[in-house]
Amino acid sequence: MIKVRNLKFKYPKNKEYTINGIDFEIEDGEVFGFLGPSASGKTTTQKILIKLLKNFEGEIEYYGKPLASYGDDFYQDIGVSFEMPISFSKLTAMENLEFFKRLYQRTVDVEPLLKRLGLWEDRDKKAGEYSKGMKIRLNFIRALINNPKMLFLDEPTNGLDPANARIMKDMIREFKEQGGTVFLTSHIMSDVDELCDRVAFIADGKLREINSPRNLKIKYGRRMVKVEYREGGRLITREFSMEEIKTQAFFDLLKEKDIETIHSGETTLEEIFIKVTGVALRE
Amino acid sequence: MSRLIPLVKGEFDRLNKYNLFTANFVVLLLWVGLAWFFEGEELKMFLPAVFLLDATMMTMLMVAATLFYEKQEHTLNSIMVSPVSEDEYLLSKIIVNIINSLISVFFISAAVYFIKDVTYDYLKLVPAVIVVTVVHTLFGIRLSYYAKNFTSMLVNFIVYVFLFLFPSLFALLDIIGPEMARFLIILPPEASRILITTIVQEVEPWKLLFGYGYLLSLSFIFYRFIVKPKFNDFLMRETGV
Ligand SMILES: Nc1ncnc2c1ncn2[C@@H]1O[C@H](COP(=O)(O)OP(=O)(O)OP(=O)(O)O)[C@@H](O)[C@H]1O
Ligand SMILES: [Mg+2]
Repeated sequence: MIKVRNLKFKYPKNKEYTINGIDFEIEDGEVFGFLGPSASGKTTTQKILIKLLKNFEGEIEYYGKPLASYGDDFYQDIGVSFEMPISFSKLTAMENLEFFKRLYQRTVDVEPLLKRLGLWEDRDKKAGEYSKGMKIRLNFIRALINNPKMLFLDEPTNGLDPANARIMKDMIREFKEQGGTVFLTSHIMSDVDELCDRVAFIADGKLREINSPRNLKIKYGRRMVKVEYREGGRLITREFSMEEIKTQAFFDLLKEKDIETIHSGETTLEEIFIKVTGVALRE
Repeated sequence: MSRLIPLVKGEFDRLNKYNLFTANFVVLLLWVGLAWFFEGEELKMFLPAVFLLDATMMTMLMVAATLFYEKQEHTLNSIMVSPVSEDEYLLSKIIVNIINSLISVFFISAAVYFIKDVTYDYLKLVPAVIVVTVVHTLFGIRLSYYAKNFTSMLVNFIVYVFLFLFPSLFALLDIIGPEMARFLIILPPEASRILITTIVQEVEPWKLLFGYGYLLSLSFIFYRFIVKPKFNDFLMRETGV
């Protein structure tokens, strides 16, 4: 549904391109993860895709037509959650949502959303008096208010406790199951691993990889099995290639030794992130 | 354009919640309190100054304050990723300020009528106040665009006041002579003053015609070539979001 060709973008004040020629496609109904180190241009890319930043080079097509050819009705179909809290601080959560609701043709009942994300009790509290996590949950509800076909989520679970992050991830998955498409940026690799059908890694303005998490793990992982066992009180580690595990030696080891752990050589997205972008995660 | 109504209503809710309404009302009470001390001809000279200050300075301050809040809380971005167009958004600011100015007109006129039994040509006042408010809403938006923060917005505002408004006030209070005053009409506040003064004194028709034509053209040019084209830059300024 979205096709990006040789996208380049430079902020007017800057000399260098923040986005320096990237290509990707987002399929209908997929969750597309956009990953990269801090300041690599994730938020910038999202702002370009939602038509806030206009002076880009290259082509972006949304359902086969140039993004620029869409008018303001483009926004009837998309939901956006920004990386920072956005609400009128002196209005209650409910007043905030009511205001934004009136701007759309098609809207949803916010009660179940507020209840599910644990904000129903506090719906009449001023948004300015919300905690950080509460504001982020409110942002997410704001993004869903027009029953969008596509969601753009900039680090949606950043700053949430595990229980609420779980709920939000479930909601994102359900959104996808009902046919929705998601563009998601995140630093939290477990979320990405769980939610995304495909991920793209951006670093230094270029895309380093686009693939499914599974394929990336195979590509960057080592096809081997690591076995740890005790022998004479000492811990011994041995590695077997995928060919070696078919041999008798491997079975004998399993049968005869006191095995403590068996690990596959599959790598984590964290390690892939560091390898691909050349930058260590901060957290 | 169906989104204009929720935008205008939302803005009024917020003026209320952010206490900007109260601030405006306190200023109105102050004017009425001052009006108390004037009588007859003096009062008739004082009232246009009040309407002028309200439609120019208050308008600019109010629009700048709302833009400041929306920028600071990033709600402007949230509005702009809804189907609201830039035109609708900007138009809603203009409409809200027109309504605010008319509320002031109504409140002050009612107050001086009941307290002092003073009336004047309301039919001349209303269109003048509307046109003056429109052009100053646009000035206020333009001042906000170029301000880095609230303080620098206030500084810009004060510069505007000194450059433009004070000569008009001097003319109003007969401090500079009529020879000089004639040319002041190309200053927007002076053109504004002339339009509003018609409620208490005769103004040559060419001045009226020129005043309306000038302020309306200025509004159009400002909107079309400055306020609208620079809106996206303003929206995108500052990092984050
Ligand atoms: N309004 C702006 N003007 C100038 N430069 C900007 C602006 N916004 C962002 N940048 C620069 O563009 C680069 C990319 O920023 P962006 O916000 O897209 O990063 P990000 O990948 O989202 O980072 P994070 O993970 O920290 O949110 C940074 O170097 C930033 O300084
Ligand atoms: Mg970001």
